[in-house]
Amino acid sequence: MTIGIGGAGCKLAVKLNSNATLVNVSEVELGKVVGGGQRIVAAIHAGRGQFQGSRMNPEIGYRAYISIRQELLALSRGSMVFSSTGGGTGNGITTGMLEDLTKANNIETEDKTFFNLLLPYAKLESSEFISNTSSFLAGPLAAAIDSGNTGNIVLFSNHYKFEHKVSESAYNDMLIHSLQTFLSIPKKSAKLQLLDGHIDEEDFILYTSKPYFNHFAYFNYDASQDFGKQLNQNQNPYLLPSEAAIEALFLLEVPTGGDSTIFYNILEYFKSKNVSPIYSVIENPDITEPFITVSLLYSRKPAELVNDFNKISSEHAQEKVRKSLDQYVKLEKLEVNLEKDAAQEVHQRGEKDEVLAILRRIGKL
Amino acid sequence: METSIEHELCEAQLSRLKQAHYLILLWSAKSESQGYKYNITNCFDDLKHAGITRTKQTAVAVIESVASLCFIEIRDERNRKNIYITKYGAKALANIATSNRFELISSAYLEEQIK
Repeated sequence: MTIGIGGAGCKLAVKLNSNATLVNVSEVELGKVVGGGQRIVAAIHAGRGQFQGSRMNPEIGYRAYISIRQELLALSRGSMVFSSTGGGTGNGITTGMLEDLTKANNIETEDKTFFNLLLPYAKLESSEFISNTSSFLAGPLAAAIDSGNTGNIVLFSNHYKFEHKVSESAYNDMLIHSLQTFLSIPKKSAKLQLLDGHIDEEDFILYTSKPYFNHFAYFNYDASQDFGKQLNQNQNPYLLPSEAAIEALFLLEVPTGGDSTIFYNILEYFKSKNVSPIYSVIENPDITEPFITVSLLYSRKPAELVNDFNKISSEHAQEKVRKSLDQYVKLEKLEVNLEKDAAQEVHQRGEKDEVLAILRRIGKL
Repeated sequence: METSIEHELCEAQLSRLKQAHYLILLWSAKSESQGYKYNITNCFDDLKHAGITRTKQTAVAVIESVASLCFIEIRDERNRKNIYITKYGAKALANIATSNRFELISSAYLEEQIK
């Protein structure tokens, strides 16, 4: 099942699956999405009636999640979820879902949820988006990964869209086409003639149920060139760059009569990285040169991502402070508690003395 | 006798130490003073508990950087890589502790041993 959450999430979900379940805080927003199957309104009411959107405030999405909690959690088992991390609805509702998944016990392999998250482009999108994303990555997402209760998480980025000035609809098509290339691996393995290795549906489900970030890429493979170099040059432009792989999977397609043994070079590359990939080598009569679809599972990026986002977020905040200071200066009353400050000073001095005493006791100072 | 260039180098090295380096020095010194062996795995668990890193690769990289500065010594003892603070590390730790640059966080491993 495919589930789209929030404006951006719904638009992506319907492109992958015309029968996708769509979730939003307002019927008006849901009505704007063409296509899709079941529509779920996460109801939340303000003083003047129902909200028309989350106003980039994840707190509103989070409160709305409570009204659809049981229904959404049941639907998300074994499903593919699309959401954005910058806005209010996607971020808030997905935060609620991830928190519940974090607390869950023993989620079966086939029940793990595959998350597709769309991250804002830090340089050009609003500071609220960056700040929301930063909190999301450091909070609920990091906790959910640690719990091991999610499936793969794909981090799409708006970087390419803004840098190449692509329309939203065209960019969504590009993202979904890219995702479909990865998702087609088991079907291609089953449909075309298998030459070596084997990735069946079960292997693929097991792979996508692992709680890591998934970076997938695809390109024409030149066996006379170093695979690592080609992989670096052909990183997926729609995803955040990957870190060192923990696990990997690849599908190598060779033309009819082509040399199928070129996959050993790829295995050697992964061996040098201490990774044992699962793979399929198939014969594809529709191509003229070898084509590879490769996926890397990695886990180290979140901390660095959060750092990047925090840095940009704080630059935005500083700029805002400067602007507001230029316009209107109001100084807060500074309250000094001498007793508390003195106690803190004594405490710090105590710690310092303790460290020096330890070093003397062990004869190192 | 310490020359001025050695002093400058030492100052520069100390100024680049971060909270994680400080805690490794502190925890290894405390463990030694309490008579406990403190190994890389204990240190990783403590860094994780302190919310500094979630990966062993990072923990090992930080430990190795402190060892490269000769502030700690890593000894292979009975299939464990135990960490010992050196006299240079002790000087560095004393300097940092005096400057109150970093927050003092307890070692969960050591607290568990003392219980």
